[in-house]
Amino acid sequence: MLADLLIHPRLVRVEVGLNVVVGFKVVPDETLIKVSSGKLDMNVAVKISTYDKNAIEEAVRIKESTGGKAIGVTVGNTDRKTIREALSMGVDEVVAISTQYTDVLGTATAIAEEVRSMNPDLVLFGETTTDGSTSGLGPMVAEFWGVPVITFAKSIKLDGKVIRAERSLTPVVEIVETELPTVVTVTGEINSPRIPTLRQIMESSKKPVRTKEFKSSPMASLDSVEPYLVQRKRIVLEGKTEEVVQKLIEALRKEGAL
Amino acid sequence: MIVVFSEDGENFKSAAALAQSLGEEIAGVAKQELKFTNKLYVTDFDEDVVVDIVSKESPTLVIGGDTKRDKTVAARVAARLRAAYAPSVVDLKSQGDRFVVKRIGYSGVALATLTLSKPAVITVGKGDSSPKEMQTQVIRQEGKGRVRVVERREGKGTVDLGSAKIIVSVGRGMGSKENVKYAQELADAIGAALAGSRPVTAEMGWLPEDRQVGLSGTKVKPKLYLALGISGQPQHLAGMKDSGLVVAVNKDKNAPIAENCDYLVVADTVEFCQEMVKRLKG
Repeated sequence: MLADLLIHPRLVRVEVGLNVVVGFKVVPDETLIKVSSGKLDMNVAVKISTYDKNAIEEAVRIKESTGGKAIGVTVGNTDRKTIREALSMGVDEVVAISTQYTDVLGTATAIAEEVRSMNPDLVLFGETTTDGSTSGLGPMVAEFWGVPVITFAKSIKLDGKVIRAERSLTPVVEIVETELPTVVTVTGEINSPRIPTLRQIMESSKKPVRTKEFKSSPMASLDSVEPYLVQRKRIVLEGKTEEVVQKLIEALRKEGAL
Repeated sequence: MIVVFSEDGENFKSAAALAQSLGEEIAGVAKQELKFTNKLYVTDFDEDVVVDIVSKESPTLVIGGDTKRDKTVAARVAARLRAAYAPSVVDLKSQGDRFVVKRIGYSGVALATLTLSKPAVITVGKGDSSPKEMQTQVIRQEGKGRVRVVERREGKGTVDLGSAKIIVSVGRGMGSKENVKYAQELADAIGAALAGSRPVTAEMGWLPEDRQVGLSGTKVKPKLYLALGISGQPQHLAGMKDSGLVVAVNKDKNAPIAENCDYLVVADTVEFCQEMVKRLKG
């Protein structure tokens, strides 16, 4: 046995729990935003941005398999109910940084400050948010922190301090490798986010939420947000399939589309 | 100094055309020798290397392409230069010492106008305008970054959805992977390219990932867009809103796509395809 260990030094490698930081954003549910009298009604329910849930799920899985910690960071809207959802999914604690309007560069600055003080092994984000959709946060945090970044990962595998990821760079898929610490952004295909049990939801109220404030002077200011609409005819064709198909073909020929 | 970069030749051209319209000295970073900038760095596009090249030029404006890799590089450059960042811009105006840009927000629901201080980093998609050829000083620059590529699988890349005139696009409502063949038959009958929504491409694999139309896939603007069994989530709409005529086929009259199409055919998607093919061939 001892001989084995001497011959194969990698057998003596001690697996230490990995500390993962996961960024997530509280956003208005885009499927509920409606246009009323030429304006967008943004006063809708908030949620964890879609792919950030995949990042949380991945962070919790890594925490569970290595016996480490998963810490959430959110910037902007710090809605408590939404933060509790992240905690219910298995995040150990959340740093909630409230701020007035800021751009993605400001958000990255705030998160990088936290990341530097926590010095984790891995930082995860969703590939993009459903509000700003810049896909810029992960790369920016990596740049500020001075570590490599792997974006659009649809699977990741950890082996000691080496991370291997499958990057979805349509139409190319790349398998890449680098050493921790690193920043990774994940796509929606990487996993199916868990639905917390009632017990996990109850227990999440005991988990710590540290609140902070961040003042930023954004380089990009948001001047206006208007509905993005293209007026359509909205003609409904209903009835027997043979008849509606006939009508459609006639209409498309008249329009010069066929 | 303006810096233009893209891993994609066509996207490099549209970025260069925008840069030329601003009348400043232009540096480019590309994989191929393209003659649309005053000087050009030719590189195999390791992300660390491209971020270094672009940042060292101390640009007032960086115009990147819109591929996923381009956007990753652009965001890092913005962080390194502490510059304003706006990817996937659809309109840019120079206003004194600022830029005013428009881009899509809230997953396709909104059009946002932003003012960017200089320096600024933006990305643009492929467009119709082509740049003028010019005398270009070519510099080769290679190097290795911190992320190693172990394996590379090229996608099929057989269809260019961005320039297709007619697109037949399938969603979950098509029912099964098996049923996609009926949509293919219809596409063949009308000379269309076959595409799909995010769930059927990236998640369920009914079609290859490069066929994805939407915010995270390709943005298309065909003369005719036929949406089969696509409910019309904002993310999908964001990728096809600029289409000429939109026809949706759906069993559910109240699906969001109903608000965003010219013709809504309330029918079973498979029956619809079979009937269309029969009529068009007969």
